[in-house]
Amino acid sequence: MTHVTIKIECRNVAKIFKQRGGKVQIPVLDSISLSVVENEFLAIVGPGQCGKSTLLRIIGGLETPTTGNVLLDSKEVTGPGPDRAMVFQKYTLFPWKTVMGNVEMGLKLGGMAKKKRREIAGHYINLVGLQGFEKAFPHQLSGGMKQRVGIARAYANDPKVLLLDEPFGQLDAQTRYLMEQETARIWSAEKKTVVFVTNNIEEAVYLADRIVTLEGKLPGRMKSSYVVDLPRPREHIDKKFLKLRHIITQETELLL
Amino acid sequence: MNTTMEHAISVHAASRGNGPAAFVRRLLKNRYVLYVVSIVGLLAIWHFSAVSGTYSKYMPTPGMVLNELWRIAHENLAGQNLLGHLWSSLHRVLIGFAIGSVVGVPLGLFMALNRYVNNLVKPVFDLIKPMPPISWISLAILWFGIGEESKVFIIAIGAFVPALINSYNGIRLVDPALYDAIRMLGANRWQTMVEVTFPAGFPALFAGLQIALSVAWSCVLAAELVSARSGMGFLIILGMTMSNPSMILSGMVVIAITAYLITVVLSKVEKWVCPWKVELTQ
Repeated sequence: MTHVTIKIECRNVAKIFKQRGGKVQIPVLDSISLSVVENEFLAIVGPGQCGKSTLLRIIGGLETPTTGNVLLDSKEVTGPGPDRAMVFQKYTLFPWKTVMGNVEMGLKLGGMAKKKRREIAGHYINLVGLQGFEKAFPHQLSGGMKQRVGIARAYANDPKVLLLDEPFGQLDAQTRYLMEQETARIWSAEKKTVVFVTNNIEEAVYLADRIVTLEGKLPGRMKSSYVVDLPRPREHIDKKFLKLRHIITQETELLL
Repeated sequence: MNTTMEHAISVHAASRGNGPAAFVRRLLKNRYVLYVVSIVGLLAIWHFSAVSGTYSKYMPTPGMVLNELWRIAHENLAGQNLLGHLWSSLHRVLIGFAIGSVVGVPLGLFMALNRYVNNLVKPVFDLIKPMPPISWISLAILWFGIGEESKVFIIAIGAFVPALINSYNGIRLVDPALYDAIRMLGANRWQTMVEVTFPAGFPALFAGLQIALSVAWSCVLAAELVSARSGMGFLIILGMTMSNPSMILSGMVVIAITAYLITVVLSKVEKWVCPWKVELTQ
């Protein structure tokens, strides 16, 4: 790589949640500094309740950091916006919209004409393998299919950055493997800068270019960083894969 | 152990067998069979208790009620036949329901969306809420007389309360994650309202309108029982003053059927306007 553009930069981000009018203070994140380069797939790994989702929400602009700031293309993030897209653990599809209605929503909000946005949304529905389900409502879909819609909805808005918040946490193991493969395939087909939050080390090694681990207790602090230098598509039973997975597991306390 | 096994096997065999017991068991599994038994049973008990004479003076048989229904459907009572009276009641319900929901729904929405409106309206509403709408009846007659206005007023109050509560709660209980999702997609405040707040609150709002309509239907009867010259409530009172229990029961049957039909129509409308709602089957 000759030219590397820094896409996201977190500078000394800390977050303290206040409860009962500020009487109870819960420090969730402390001095997080990291950067993500263009088209990099970064995984943030940590156990439950380590602040990793909060970090992602801060990058998304859904939460504001107590101190520090986040830069996207060198501009400070002040709120959510269509330059970033998020895929949520709980799918959060709009139940009153069909698959097509959900996927085209971002473009509709952006004021794009119906014919054009249907075309783009159709492309991403095909990309995630849901052709034929355009008119289905979310409650008619399985968990894996719902999350495909979530991914298509995020992609269709053509964001600069894709934020995935434990997207496969609610899926059964088999569907989860399948969705990991699908995510790798979709990402290879249309490269994006991705920040992926998970508590699953194997998943992170399978998908990411780089893995950042957080400490296992509040407030979440950066622990280590690993470069995953394995050729794609990756194999779960490849020797190097298993070795790296073992190293990260040894060094990470996944206490729940 | 052994006996329970044998018992289990014999039960199993019986349920698959061809004897009369198995036939009855299969018959009972079909719920419509028991539905028919239930209705026919009621009519039979009713009929024989009426014929047996203990209360026969004021207890007509089902056949007599049916005859009476036929009579009042064709004969005029106080200037109108049965359909005319039914329409009088429905007419009042529709007007009162319309007023109650046109005031209640937007007020509920504003309360849910704006803290100041909420704090201003909620104390007064909490005072009105627990009062049964019927309790306004004497005041309504003093204010508006015994004409249409007092009845419509009672119905409007009755419909107003559930319409407001449900639109208020429907909006307040929207899943916050849906707001995160729409904001991430780039929605501004207005778009958030149009694309998430209203559609997400709609099923609860619609449920409120359904409740409001059934409350309105019971309010109109109560209002007509007190003072009216037309309507289903008037018909029942007329039956009482004429010592004609068949007429009272005919009126009650028509009231029940009407209420049932309103529910059926509304659930059809709901399926049409909220096709995304998951159906709950029995």
